[in-house]
Amino acid sequence: MNKRLLLIFALILLLASLWFMLSDFFDDEPLTTTNPYEYNIDNYKIVDSSVIAWKETMNIPVTGDTIRSLGVDQQDNIYVGTFHKLLIYSKEGHLKNSFDVGGKVYSLFVNRSGKIFLGMKDHIEIWNRSGRKLQSWDALNSKSIITSIHCSDELVYVADAGNRVVYQYKPEGMLQMRIGEKDSTKGSPGFVIPSPYFDLLQGRDDELWVVNPGRHQFEAYNEKGQMISSWKKTSMQLDGFSGCCNPTHMAMLSTGDFVTSEKGIERIKIHRPDGSFAEVVAPPEAFEEGTVGLDLAVDSEDRILVLDKFKGAVRIFERK
Amino acid sequence: MEAEEKKYNRREFVNTGIRFSIALGLGGVAALVAKRSAGGELVWQLDPSKCIQCGRCATSCVSSPSAVKCIHVYDMCGYCDLCGGYFRPGTKDLTTAAENQLCPTAAIKRSYIEEPFFEYSIDEDLCIGCGKCVKGCGAFGNGSLQLQVSHNICLNCNECAIARDCPTDAFSRVSSDKAYSFKGF
Repeated sequence: MNKRLLLIFALILLLASLWFMLSDFFDDEPLTTTNPYEYNIDNYKIVDSSVIAWKETMNIPVTGDTIRSLGVDQQDNIYVGTFHKLLIYSKEGHLKNSFDVGGKVYSLFVNRSGKIFLGMKDHIEIWNRSGRKLQSWDALNSKSIITSIHCSDELVYVADAGNRVVYQYKPEGMLQMRIGEKDSTKGSPGFVIPSPYFDLLQGRDDELWVVNPGRHQFEAYNEKGQMISSWKKTSMQLDGFSGCCNPTHMAMLSTGDFVTSEKGIERIKIHRPDGSFAEVVAPPEAFEEGTVGLDLAVDSEDRILVLDKFKGAVRIFERK
Repeated sequence: MEAEEKKYNRREFVNTGIRFSIALGLGGVAALVAKRSAGGELVWQLDPSKCIQCGRCATSCVSSPSAVKCIHVYDMCGYCDLCGGYFRPGTKDLTTAAENQLCPTAAIKRSYIEEPFFEYSIDEDLCIGCGKCVKGCGAFGNGSLQLQVSHNICLNCNECAIARDCPTDAFSRVSSDKAYSFKGF
């Protein structure tokens, strides 16, 4: 009798031990999905639909490896620079040509005569539309990251994020001057470039506009490299720019209005020439969270072209 | 006749099998020891490129506060005035006032260098590894604030509680001679 009781007791003990061990596999407490330390900027991503004055009218899927830079020519052909190739699309989005350029195209610009200027990290290369390299300029230095190019008939401006300076060249490749370098003796505060986003363009009067992203400032320079105007606005709201690297890119409409793209709060907006906020082109909900590097271009019909690497497409916006 | 001589009997087969198993076991142990001594001890570390700053590093670690800390990769930092990792979103005045700080434990110290640059350093004793600053820095800056397991605090548990709860499997065992890993650097 005692042996039987002992056996039953041992059996119960064994089953209890087994249950205790197996419960670890099946009775896991569900992990909480709420994060008590959430970094929440959702309120700043809400945009009143009444200020969204543009709509997406075309989406050109871009094939190939990582896409990086965007440009448009006088005939509104669209140029996309990737890590190794240059792709040329018609205005309607048909692929017209693509060719290997042998390196990463960090930035590009097509001038009035159709020459394609490519920013290849530390030097400029000039190609034609058939895929022939016409010229390669001397490399700058190992720190250089050429993030933007803009050409007129007389001058070529090159933004170097690594060295925090803008170079002014002659179209033949002769370096004329360095613009915006920090120089306390001249009272030049310099560009603040925490990450490789440093854009420039030439305005309607051929003045040079440079984004100083660390200060959320737009600075205008004359051809002698002297600052002639600036505007800035720091704000997470629609009227300004936030973080340490915004806006990341800009373009200009025929009206002189600035088109800007941002990271952190992914959005595309328009500011008037005096810097005041005008309207939204694309709100944050139009982009995947974490989208960065939204390169911009404007064609002859004032369509806004956006290079969205995350969606692998050139997205075209037109006024509603 | 010769073929019959070559046949193993059961005893010889068992003996050979045991000898082979022992040799295999010893070889395996020797290889394991050699590998460990060559590669160093294995420790837990998280891959910052997989980290989504879910906050579980702060709440799941058996150590309190967590062994996961924010590490500042100074070579990547832009020394920004408006640091997305330091300031609460929408802060109007860029001052060190408590209400402007993003860090829930005020573990980030801001010090002036020269106009317009500021240095940000982490007080490891105060940091709880929540990753709030990492998310802010990654979204608006260049991601120089990154979470890492601090090996002078980590107990190197056999089964890491954070690794078990990590939604992106960012934790893995790495060799102690490569105990820290940073992204973008």
